[in-house]
Amino acid sequence: MTAKKKKIGWHHALGIIAFLLPFTVFYILFTIWPVIQGFYVSLYKWGLMGKIKFVGTANYTRFLKDKFFWQSLGNTATFVAVSVPLLVILALVLALLANRTSKLKRFYRASFYLPNILSVSVISFITIYMASPYMGFINGLLHTLKVIPANVEPQWLSNSNLTWVTIAVATVWWTVGFSMLLYISALQDIPDQLYEAAKIDGASKSRQLFRITIPLLAPTTSLVLLLQMIASFKVFGQIFLITRGGPGTLTRPLIQYIYETAFTKNDLGYASAMSYALFLILVVLSVIQIRLQNRGAKE
Amino acid sequence: MNRKITPGKIVLEIVSVCIAVLFLTPVIWSLAVSLKTEGVPIHNAFNWFTPPFTLENYPKILLETKVPFWLFNSFFVAILSTVLVLFISSMAAYPLAKLNFPGKNILYLFFLIGMIVPGEATIVPLFITANGLNMIDSYAGLIMPTIAGSMNLIIMVAFFKSIPNEMIEAAQIDGANNFSIYFRIILPLSKTVLVTVGIFAFIGSWNNYLWPLLCTTSDTMFTLPVGIPTFAGTYTVDYVKPMTANMVASIPAIIIYLIFEKRIVKGVALSGIKG
Repeated sequence: MTAKKKKIGWHHALGIIAFLLPFTVFYILFTIWPVIQGFYVSLYKWGLMGKIKFVGTANYTRFLKDKFFWQSLGNTATFVAVSVPLLVILALVLALLANRTSKLKRFYRASFYLPNILSVSVISFITIYMASPYMGFINGLLHTLKVIPANVEPQWLSNSNLTWVTIAVATVWWTVGFSMLLYISALQDIPDQLYEAAKIDGASKSRQLFRITIPLLAPTTSLVLLLQMIASFKVFGQIFLITRGGPGTLTRPLIQYIYETAFTKNDLGYASAMSYALFLILVVLSVIQIRLQNRGAKE
Repeated sequence: MNRKITPGKIVLEIVSVCIAVLFLTPVIWSLAVSLKTEGVPIHNAFNWFTPPFTLENYPKILLETKVPFWLFNSFFVAILSTVLVLFISSMAAYPLAKLNFPGKNILYLFFLIGMIVPGEATIVPLFITANGLNMIDSYAGLIMPTIAGSMNLIIMVAFFKSIPNEMIEAAQIDGANNFSIYFRIILPLSKTVLVTVGIFAFIGSWNNYLWPLLCTTSDTMFTLPVGIPTFAGTYTVDYVKPMTANMVASIPAIIIYLIFEKRIVKGVALSGIKG
């Protein structure tokens, strides 16, 4: 920095405050304050009309014994376990396919990323209509192609195992493009000389892939892995819209349980306490992610 | 570079095309459904994609339902929040990147906290805050909580730092104050980053679901993502109308995507690297 050491006059100071003020106000009000407010609310029995009574840590001890809390946390964890590996592996595969020298390169990249710009409501209803029995596209196609007999109707939206398949496939289709782009930009940073040298040494394509590409992508893989874990722990929209958390509550994710506790059961205090459990998980993951990135940036 | 066409390359090309078609199928199918006449049964899955097609559903959706309200709300909210995001983040980024003042580093660290605060986990207190400010079911409530994002600020600070100090110093010698430096030097030189952040702000707002779901109560205040599910729920027998509404909600985002595809690709890389 070579900026002149100027004495800060009141005029100058006012200018700086004017630049910073709008962001600071909105940031404090809608990002920082809710974190503090949430803790305060979690210590009360709190309804939509406001504070009812102080209950101390009762809301926290309550969710530790609440089987629906653990079920919804378990469902969220199931979703993370099913979707994250699929998303990471497929993102890499798609990036490798879309980054080859090909006339269709841009078409591939654009097609793989396109679902990402659709809203969660849109992708959820496309999924419902494609997957619904009797009239849906998927069963219709399976019947037309005679993959399954005409009297068999897989229940993609109500069989508890198949619903996870449906949700996972829909999520992968919708979001994998983002991680694919992260991989593509990392692939473009790998110097061509490495491959040329490997070729001179007679290394096959697959050997180049496993010995050069994948090891050099390791920082990106850990980044994608963490970003996907964070995103998957926040899952709400597509499950809420595709299955409503059903059958029963078998696919209900944590955010949906928090949402229902707050806004249909009118128990905002308890919902805030449960939010802190999610908050904790996500903060830990974010801190790991930022540390990984800083390490990656320094290398 | 090896330009020989080998069987391996052909296989990879075919696999890529198949996956791309698979990815596009749901979108193309939705479009095809929206072009079908309501109530005509389809027995063969391939018949979805063959004529007869009709555009009659689009005027119906736009004239007989609340979709125009939602379309207007989505556009209004997305445009206004994009403009506000760009203004308030670039304004705050300028002194953080280019000026010296006491407490600068602490303030920047304070703004970084937002990177790890998950909005989904503070949705209940955010609702209470917005309710206390009388913002529920209003445009202010839909827009204001979304405009001060740490991510946008960080991207802009990093970009503004790359603007040479000499340009600013030269302007200062000519007697320019900070406001004219911001408007005449910083903003014009930052078009690329403004466009990138703006596209993501627009698409993010256009597709936002959880907050508008909580923040709106009357069906004339809904945005498209909130309205479409309520609307589709009443048409469980026939797909044509809900799919038309789906397309109405998606076409603006798809057009923006096709126009700015390259920028979006670069933007994802930028946001991924920066966190």
